[in-house]
Amino acid sequence: MIEVHNVTKLHFGRPVLKDITLSIPEGSNLGLIGPGGAGKSLLLKIICGLVVPDEGTVTIDGQDVFELDEIEIAKLRFRIGMLFQNYALFDFMNVADNIAFPLRQEGKLGEDEIAAKVQEQLDSVDLPTIGHQFPNELSGGMKKRVSFARAVVPEPPIVFYDDPTAGLDPVTSSKIFLLLKAMRDEKGVTSVTISHDIEGIKDICDNFALLDRGELIFWGSRDEVESTDLSLVRQFWDGFSDDELG
Amino acid sequence: MAAAPERMPLHHRMLASVGEPVIHVADTVKGIMRTFALTLHYTLRGRKRWDAIFEQLHEIGNRSVIFIAFTLGFLGMILIYQAGYQAMKITGDLQLLGGLFLQLLLRVFAPTITAMMLATRVGSGMAAQIGSMVVTEQVDALRMCAAQPVDYLVVPRFLASIVMSVVLTIFAVLVSYLAGAMVANTAFGVNFYTFFDMSFVGWFDVNICLTKALVFGATIPVIACQAGLIVTGGSEGVGQATTTAVVNCSLAVVILDFVISGLGYVVLNLL
Repeated sequence: MIEVHNVTKLHFGRPVLKDITLSIPEGSNLGLIGPGGAGKSLLLKIICGLVVPDEGTVTIDGQDVFELDEIEIAKLRFRIGMLFQNYALFDFMNVADNIAFPLRQEGKLGEDEIAAKVQEQLDSVDLPTIGHQFPNELSGGMKKRVSFARAVVPEPPIVFYDDPTAGLDPVTSSKIFLLLKAMRDEKGVTSVTISHDIEGIKDICDNFALLDRGELIFWGSRDEVESTDLSLVRQFWDGFSDDELG
Repeated sequence: MAAAPERMPLHHRMLASVGEPVIHVADTVKGIMRTFALTLHYTLRGRKRWDAIFEQLHEIGNRSVIFIAFTLGFLGMILIYQAGYQAMKITGDLQLLGGLFLQLLLRVFAPTITAMMLATRVGSGMAAQIGSMVVTEQVDALRMCAAQPVDYLVVPRFLASIVMSVVLTIFAVLVSYLAGAMVANTAFGVNFYTFFDMSFVGWFDVNICLTKALVFGATIPVIACQAGLIVTGGSEGVGQATTTAVVNCSLAVVILDFVISGLGYVVLNLL
């Protein structure tokens, strides 16, 4: 269970997130939508403790993320996978080492087991032969899939996807969404997905939140989204512009 | 109609213009001290990643050899030429040229100029590399994989820089001294036996030289990595971090040079 309570973040005195409160029950999948610059990625980074808010708390399974010491936060992060918007692959490591990195950090498996897990992940993202290549040799879609493999290789119960299909062609986007769907159905992960591809996340998320200019405008289930009259939600959900709504 | 912004009184503005840089310097020093403390903590308690340390030894040491050889070699030649020329004009006696030059090299020039060159070549590279890792979220990815950025990125550079700073300083002394000897011989006819006079050099000079090399070697990566770790924005931020790293490292080298020299002479007088 992830709970966000009254989170506010200021940037040079100006609020970029205002009093955000929401909760993500275990096993549920939240879709975080909204215009660019609304604070979605920032909220995700606050939830996993990478950015400290000016006000408010974040608890994951009852643990206050900002009260944990170094060892406790490390333990918590072993339970969280994150796919970054800009891939964030380590450019000084090849693909296999990138995917193996969280497993080596965890230190539970031997090198043979790690190699087997890495190959298993490469097979699952349909890139079985690129382990020796470096990130700068890959296309955007391949980087996303490698980044996905790195995020999920330790089989974390919580995964955050920050715009997993940004800048990708429709075929690669659908492959990524299939991977996300498999994570939900086969592993039962709790997830938060930021995406501008509404059609894509409709299939993988059961709850949706809409942020606009740092404020949580809407938060509810798919049925609630479909029945709401809030114009910004309708615009996003149905893909209309202001003019078309009249 | 919108109200006009309230204008700050002159004395407030004057105070602000003094206070802002003071606060900036205090923040920078605080950040560097924090990174230094964390680096020491992880150096003593963290897991040693020998592959990364050897990679950095190569990057800092092997790849700086030519640069250091050229810089210190030419510096040695210039200094000997100038010193010899002045000595010829005033006393005409060049017997002390080699001995005093070696003392000057050990006490000041070799460790300081080597450190300045390392700050330029290595410090800027560290700030740029870590800064670009910050803007591409690689540092966030490290933290999400439960790796501490200081432990993972700074500690190998810190250890390698300490080792290589000492090695390169010794190398710089040799290169500069030999280059100076060649100029003394060809330009002023000083024979090598006279030039290689060690009577002016004692353990104090060697100790000061090695202490400075060690301290500078520890300082440069901490300041440079700190500049990289606090990068904000995109490529502009990385560029600023690179400049900040070189400026701060150079300032730190000059200030520490003064402090260590001063302390050295205090110790020498006590002995």
